[in-house]
Amino acid sequence: MSFYNRRKFLTTTAGAAGALAVANALGMPAFAQDRRIRHFWWGNPERDKRTLAVIDIFNGKNPGIVVEGETLGFADYFTKLTTQIAGGNMPDVIQMGYGVMFEYINNGAIVPLDDYVGKSLDVSKIDQSALDAGTVGGKLYAVSIGANSHVTMYNKRLYEAAGIKVGENFDPFGWTYDDLARIGKAIKDATGVAGTDDNTADYQNFSDFVGQKGAVMYTDGEYTVPQEVVEEYWATWKGIRDAGATVAAEETAALAGVAELAQTGLVTGKSATSFAWSNQLVGTQALMQDPIGAAMYPNTPAMLPGSIVQPSQFVCLTRDSKDAEAATTYMTAFVNDLDMTKVLGLERGIPSNPDVRAALEPQLTDIEKVSVAFFDGIQGKTAVLPPPPPSGANEVEQTFERLAVEVLIGGRSPSEVAADFLQQAKDIIGRA
Amino acid sequence: MTKFIRKNLAGYAFLTPWLIGFLLLAIGPILASLYLSFTKYNVINPPRWIGLDNYTYMFGRDARFRKALQVTFTFVAFAVPAKLIFALGVAMVLDKGIRAIGLYRALFYLPSILGGSIAVAILWRQLFNADGVINSLLELVGINGPYWLADPNYSLWTLVVLAVWQFGSPMLIFLAGLRAIPQELYEAAEIDAASKVKQFFAITVPLLAPVIFFNLVLQMIEAFKSFSGAFIISGGSGAPLDSLLFYTVYLFNEAFSFLRMGYASALAWVLLLIIALFTAIAFWSSKYWVHYESERG
Repeated sequence: MSFYNRRKFLTTTAGAAGALAVANALGMPAFAQDRRIRHFWWGNPERDKRTLAVIDIFNGKNPGIVVEGETLGFADYFTKLTTQIAGGNMPDVIQMGYGVMFEYINNGAIVPLDDYVGKSLDVSKIDQSALDAGTVGGKLYAVSIGANSHVTMYNKRLYEAAGIKVGENFDPFGWTYDDLARIGKAIKDATGVAGTDDNTADYQNFSDFVGQKGAVMYTDGEYTVPQEVVEEYWATWKGIRDAGATVAAEETAALAGVAELAQTGLVTGKSATSFAWSNQLVGTQALMQDPIGAAMYPNTPAMLPGSIVQPSQFVCLTRDSKDAEAATTYMTAFVNDLDMTKVLGLERGIPSNPDVRAALEPQLTDIEKVSVAFFDGIQGKTAVLPPPPPSGANEVEQTFERLAVEVLIGGRSPSEVAADFLQQAKDIIGRA
Repeated sequence: MTKFIRKNLAGYAFLTPWLIGFLLLAIGPILASLYLSFTKYNVINPPRWIGLDNYTYMFGRDARFRKALQVTFTFVAFAVPAKLIFALGVAMVLDKGIRAIGLYRALFYLPSILGGSIAVAILWRQLFNADGVINSLLELVGINGPYWLADPNYSLWTLVVLAVWQFGSPMLIFLAGLRAIPQELYEAAEIDAASKVKQFFAITVPLLAPVIFFNLVLQMIEAFKSFSGAFIISGGSGAPLDSLLFYTVYLFNEAFSFLRMGYASALAWVLLLIIALFTAIAFWSSKYWVHYESERG
């Protein structure tokens, strides 16, 4: 049973609609003739500015449809969405990431788009790989906004000050964790700023490392990372920390699990290197003065690929949408319309529509050029996209970040923590 | 008799707006959550009845539940007495005739008005940051302050201090209680050459006992339910190392981060029972140490 009975809701709205009809018949102007669409995304100040501008363009071009933007930081986004699901008033169009999206699809909160394809929804120009990533069980559920990969962001000024030069003593597309320790130490010695953030409690880097060691995170819905890999990951970062390349362990512990760009060491000025998603280059540069450079995540000397290229974000249609046609019309424009995508730029990743990419080429800002060059650089060096993670994957990630703090600031030994983590991961997946 | 009913009917009629709100906004959701506590409910799909599974998991296998209890009990055990003692101390100082006493009272009450607010928690985070105000002050006297909020050995104590700082409302109640104690008793004690300490324990405490009891129960319930400070300071997760995993923070995470609304409802009911139990213990104990003037003892 559901506490929010749809029929009950409909009778009340029907009453209101009836009153409106009477008002119309009497020749009074109706006040709500526009088809209203709500678009909800998580963002940062730069993204919010661009997205709201895009909504204005759309509303200008499409009389009769009014899109309203709603935005929150990443941490609060899903909390708000949950309450909206419970209340049966999710926005029409929501932003989703590769991962948690599949839980919403499995649970029916996001609905298939196939009925609208070729009508109000045009995805004919979207890269096939991007469409595949949003397809589950043969049905299209999500339209990719752009492609994304893990990126090491570094402060070019500090790197130069320490004599670190691309091509001489730094290979952004083939460096190792040992290189990171060496470079980080050099920067600390030369500038006094910590060389790098510490990724001990960073699940993104850990997931890369799992691939770099030839292991697989999920096999047939089971968590299959061997304990040695977890321990070796923490030992690797302990090596970098012990070399004097990182910010203080306590500092890292305080920020474990915090996903705000403004809190990264690169932006706060506490370190010269931070780790993020490549689409976040644009948003990060907007928060700081020194120019940012882009590199892949460090690797082991064996150079097995660990990073993947995946859609940064999708736009999805929710089951609460009352005007799917207007919503999909907006989604179409959001990924295809050249005026709109021009404003969005590369802030949500490299667009999945080749026409959009071509149109953006001449007007790229410096940081967007860095982003495009980064994508050229990683070609052939990334791993294949794994199948969607099972339900509970999101909680496994948070559990890793919570427990890894113990590795940073003492308590149990890393091998005990690793065993505990794997046990909890198993329990979470079993319980989901 | 008919007159009596009619008179009461009018009373209930005037109460209706409140009654409707109470039934729809309080009783309704409370009963719904009792039902949900026996279900698996992820918000997206309709709830599914699973009997006592939530409760057996909670008491049998949930290590974080036990951690949350430990953190919350520690907080209650230290924050409540510390706050009451501090509030009583300040009230006794303010009870003396000081110039511009009204101003002081207002100033001391201010933190409590800001009480549960987010702004205060953020302020606290700034104060206790690694490079925050507290550590800057410590540096002046040559002490290298710890990472208060990132170190599980200290993080909970910063929140205890935050709770003590918000001593305004028990202080006001104590102040009113102190005013009600007849001055003659102190004068008589003076004549008998009783020391101030003796006066405090022989006059102030016994006569203030009902007020102390009232404040104790109120503050204890509030401490069990404490949420916003820990939520903001730990970034919503109870970090570091679950040292700020207050019961309510854990409940919130289960409900809204992991979409286990059924389990979270069960957690809420267990918290209700815990609070009820401790309140009952307080009431039971009160007959041994609280005496009311109207009573014959």
